[in-house]
Amino acid sequence: MKADRRQPLQPLSTRVRAGRALMPWIRRAVLWIFALWCLFPIYWLVTMSLKRQVDAISRKPKFIFEPIWDNYLSVLANGEVWQYFQNSAIVALGATALSLILGIPTAYVLARYRFTGNADFGFWILSTRMTPPVAMLIPFFVVYVQTGLFDTYIGLILAHVAIIISIVVWLMKGFFEDLPSEMEEAAFMDGATHFQAFFHICLPVTLPGIAAVAILAFLFSWNEFLFSLVLADRIQTVPVGLYSFVGYQQIAWGELSASAVIMLAPVLAFVFVFQRQLVRGLTLGAIK
Amino acid sequence: MISPAARDRRRFVLLMLAPATVLLIGLTLVPFIVSVLFSLSNFSLITPDDFAFSWFENYGKMFDSPEFWNALRITVIFTIAAVAVELVLGVGIAALLHFETRAVPFLRLVYLLPLAITPVAAVFTFRIMLNPSLGIFNYMLKQVGLPPQDWLGTPGMALATLVVVDAWQWTPFIMLIAAGGLAAMDEEPLEAAQMDGAGPITSFFHHSLPMLFPYLAVAVVFRSIDAFKTFDIIFVLTGGGPGIATRTLNLLAYKQGIEFLSMGYAAALAIVMLIITIIASQAFLRRINLFRPKAAL
Repeated sequence: MKADRRQPLQPLSTRVRAGRALMPWIRRAVLWIFALWCLFPIYWLVTMSLKRQVDAISRKPKFIFEPIWDNYLSVLANGEVWQYFQNSAIVALGATALSLILGIPTAYVLARYRFTGNADFGFWILSTRMTPPVAMLIPFFVVYVQTGLFDTYIGLILAHVAIIISIVVWLMKGFFEDLPSEMEEAAFMDGATHFQAFFHICLPVTLPGIAAVAILAFLFSWNEFLFSLVLADRIQTVPVGLYSFVGYQQIAWGELSASAVIMLAPVLAFVFVFQRQLVRGLTLGAIK
Repeated sequence: MISPAARDRRRFVLLMLAPATVLLIGLTLVPFIVSVLFSLSNFSLITPDDFAFSWFENYGKMFDSPEFWNALRITVIFTIAAVAVELVLGVGIAALLHFETRAVPFLRLVYLLPLAITPVAAVFTFRIMLNPSLGIFNYMLKQVGLPPQDWLGTPGMALATLVVVDAWQWTPFIMLIAAGGLAAMDEEPLEAAQMDGAGPITSFFHHSLPMLFPYLAVAVVFRSIDAFKTFDIIFVLTGGGPGIATRTLNLLAYKQGIEFLSMGYAAALAIVMLIITIIASQAFLRRINLFRPKAAL
């Protein structure tokens, strides 16, 4: 009985066929509109940085204008941007290096060794990422002010390590889990110690993963705003510098945009060069 | 007796864990305990010498103050609205991208940009574009015959604008995870359904979406936790204003602690935020079982 109710295949009606032919174009249109939406602020920022003051604040936004480099020249001549750059580079490189050195061994053990509390330890590390930043910021602020770590590179690096190490451990754990465990088992057969298996067998194979995590850690540190804002005063990182610009010169949009573009340059370079590696990191390892 | 091999193994595990553990205890556990202690005291950096434990006074003051309940309400609205918009848009775009054949690498690259870009820089650009008299958004509205909006100046509109900017930055996060889930999916049941005459939209909702749930669960948990403690976007775009219309718990705690220097009260706010986060995330994350080592040595 049931089989009878199933309809025999029929040619599709014209309406359905027209709908199916149109689908790819609707789909394409939606995807490109979304791409435009993602790209537009960045595009607008770049054009602003190439506009004269009159064009930048004209009531009728100008899509066609004569580009000028003056904004970049005056920003670069100013020297402040270089200082922000240098501060951010020192902090981000320091924080990246430290969090890798400390995080990779932990990640390896969490991925490979079964021991009491493994899952709890993993959850604890990830939970440091969930902590609202103010809960950590207030003690950091008080302790930094009283110990002299306030407004130092070391202080900022430590604070950034506290923020990014959980992601380093989490992602590296994923990379180690991807390796077949036969690798170490073979090494143990040959009489290797646990350390040797880790250093000489696993670490070299995960170098691409380590590079991806390093890029991501650097990016997170470079973009970090709240801790850099509160825990330093003279040492301003890129986002803090940009924020203070916005406060001081409300209307010099051209120069402001030029400095923003310069500060974004390393980020954009990373995205273009390391797109694939970043996807895994930015989705926190959910996508391999 | 422990065998030498087991002793070696244990020593190795401990040595590998030690550096990060020591650092994390120093940088996250100790600050957390200090925060709890602060929250039970009247500690203020303006009068640090008058330090005394006031026990639950801060919490009492907080639960009695309308500003706390207002901030909690705004935080919850912001989090739910932002995550909902991002989830619908992100899954939709991922589904469309899954069937797209042209220029996919380029589209993927563009979709990645909002996630990677320095939030302060992006938000600053939005501030220019949202300027009531000179911004491009109002200009576009005028072109299509709609009245200009004071995007950040009226309470309801300011919150909605923040949600849109947050969605700009974070929709790609959900989209990437959903796209990854779709790519890893077994296509056979889907093809079978389409052979039976199900349209692509029906088969997506009946077959692909349920199989995506584990991925989406992870994405939504992470995103909700982050949206709950959003700082950069709100701080740079509205600073909590107009008035207190967009002052979330995070901004309230920042204001109390870093601007007014009343550390005790700010710490109490932070602890309440933490408790909400832990309850919400434990419930989800424990269930989806992310924490078992897959291979064991």
